[in-house]
Amino acid sequence: MHEALIPIAVCAILFIGLPWLIFHYITQWKKNGSLTVEDENLLDELHALARRLDDRMTTIERIVAADSPSFRPALRDEHEEDFELPRSPERTVRTRRREH
Amino acid sequence: MTPRRTRFYLDKQNGKFLGVCAGIADYTGIDVLLVRVGFVLLNFATGFFGGFGLIAYFVVAWLADKKPRELDYEDREDRKFWQKVRARPANSIRDVRASFRDIDRRLADVETHITSQNRRLADEIEALR
Repeated sequence: MHEALIPIAVCAILFIGLPWLIFHYITQWKKNGSLTVEDENLLDELHALARRLDDRMTTIERIVAADSPSFRPALRDEHEEDFELPRSPERTVRTRRREH
Repeated sequence: MTPRRTRFYLDKQNGKFLGVCAGIADYTGIDVLLVRVGFVLLNFATGFFGGFGLIAYFVVAWLADKKPRELDYEDREDRKFWQKVRARPANSIRDVRASFRDIDRRLADVETHITSQNRRLADEIEALR
């Protein structure tokens, strides 16, 4: 009796229990871990806006600093360096690609 | 389907063959060479099971779309940002907020400087009277 039940139990676990478990975690992960389309567009916009404002701020700081030497722009963190540096080469590559 | 930043795409421009490995590298931010070496090693390890890795490669290449042009990154910083969004969306939202705060602080600095300068000028005019 018991011997006959073991294969059935194994099959049930393998073909029902395991996919159930996997899909359960997949749906949970999708619910928690991903942005909706609107959120993503909003984030895209905000990110672009933040970068534009950052550029403008830098320009204004430079103008004010040139006007009056007493003004010192606050020290920037080091991550802003890679904000600035690699921008120009890739942008030129991209515009060149567009022209073709 | 609308193109999305958080979806997996093939990266045919930087790809060696069909762009699957380059797509994975672009999606996760792992170096493309590491992805390729890892893929080949995995293939050798699973080669005994009838080349499952190769089949998976072609299935992915067949199912996934080519990356749309409007999703091209503006620069390296942009790419890094979206790789972070895919890995941890909440953190990247916090990062955007932090950059807005930084801009706010710098703007306040400039404002204080300019207004204090004007006050000094006004004081001097006052003194000349």
